[in-house]
Amino acid sequence: MGSPKQSAGLRELVACLVVSVALFTWSCQSGGSGPLAAIRGVFQTVTMPVTYLGAAVSSPLRGLGNIFANLTADQATLTELEAQVSELQAQNAELEERASSAERLQGLLDLQDSNDLRSTAAHVISGSTDSWSATVTLDKGSAAGITPGMPVTSSSGVVGQVVSCSATTSTVRLLTDESSSISAMVQSTRAQGMLNGSASGEVTLELVSTSQDVEVGSVIVTSGLGGVFPKGLPIGEVASVSGDPSGLYLDIVVDLYADPWATEEVLVITSLTDDQRATAEDIAEADAQEGARSSEDDDTGSDE
Amino acid sequence: MQVVDRNREVRTTAVLAVVCLVLQLALAPNIGLGNGRANFGLVLVGSVALFSSSRHPVLAGFLSGLVFDLCTTGPIGLMAFCLTVTAFVLGLEGVGRGAGDLGSAMARFSVAAAAVSLVYHLAMLLTGATSSFVDAVFLRALPTTLLTVVAFVPFAYYLSRVRAASSGLGLSRRGSHLSGKGL
Repeated sequence: MGSPKQSAGLRELVACLVVSVALFTWSCQSGGSGPLAAIRGVFQTVTMPVTYLGAAVSSPLRGLGNIFANLTADQATLTELEAQVSELQAQNAELEERASSAERLQGLLDLQDSNDLRSTAAHVISGSTDSWSATVTLDKGSAAGITPGMPVTSSSGVVGQVVSCSATTSTVRLLTDESSSISAMVQSTRAQGMLNGSASGEVTLELVSTSQDVEVGSVIVTSGLGGVFPKGLPIGEVASVSGDPSGLYLDIVVDLYADPWATEEVLVITSLTDDQRATAEDIAEADAQEGARSSEDDDTGSDE
Repeated sequence: MQVVDRNREVRTTAVLAVVCLVLQLALAPNIGLGNGRANFGLVLVGSVALFSSSRHPVLAGFLSGLVFDLCTTGPIGLMAFCLTVTAFVLGLEGVGRGAGDLGSAMARFSVAAAAVSLVYHLAMLLTGATSSFVDAVFLRALPTTLLTVVAFVPFAYYLSRVRAASSGLGLSRRGSHLSGKGL
């Protein structure tokens, strides 16, 4: 009786072994694709609820395991983890700095694109080296095509003007410098004036007639007169307006958009397009305002 | 009586298969030692081959191994091959031999578990699943053996003591005695 049983058992064994080897070979050849992979996928999909249930049930045990592992962590492991934390913190700080820099550079790119500026970017590498001037130094100079007189702006607004260059660096006189004086205007009313710095760092828009309508909050932009600064670059906002009724000009204090001491990347405008220069109409309007100021001045003089 | 015993044996084997499948899916992935996981397919094979008078332990081994392969990401057919051979070898010494003899059953199962784990993980090493011999043997095969043996203990205890005492799982001695009586 045992012999047929043993024969049947052997036949069964051989058959199962042959099928196993065939499946193994087929599986190795087909890799992660083919009918076998599909069957495995179906099987795992069908049994997924059981897997999820097991994970849910065993999660407290895994938590205990983690606690135990943490309790028994040796000093070497803790030291290594502390070193990793320090390294990751430093990397995180560096990445945050890079993200911030990327954001500022994107702002410069947007400014360049929106205003069609012919410019070169530079980094501010240092501030003034003396207490008499308000300047910053850039990391590009004549070798990069920068020459004295070129306007400098940031993504926030105009910063100043290049006053001197070496081969690899440039010095920029800031708008807050006592010697700084650029042509500007009130964007809304087109009232022309001169934006001047001061020893205290305060920036004022001067030579604006009292007949002009200037309000607090009005935006101040470059006028383009003189052909140095492109027309329409933002400078700041009117912080205060005052004027003697008997006087000729308003006292306008301007808050600059760009904080020169916090600026790290700037654009040096290397040339102007025709559209960026003051038009004949702009010049005529400026002359007209100048003529009106002269007339008021003469009237005041004759009255005296 | 033979028919009743056989039906009970089939039912018990089916229940064992379902229990082992659920444990393989739900418990084995979440409890590990190193990179090793318990092999409940092998536990099923050990239960059937050592404590059951099943006439088809080889088939049970093949199917158990096949299901194990479908649960994992390794090549299909590898564990089926291993468990087919294991079921045949464990079943060679006579059906139901482990009944009432827990120590002997545990010893034979431990050897089988070590052999299956070693063969399986060396085969995975050869197929390129891992490139480290130390990882395959000491971090996978050895922990898998330990966990599988531990997982087998409750099954072995239940089948050798409880079931044997209640005459539930086709004990070889009782089964053969009954068969003799039936003749």
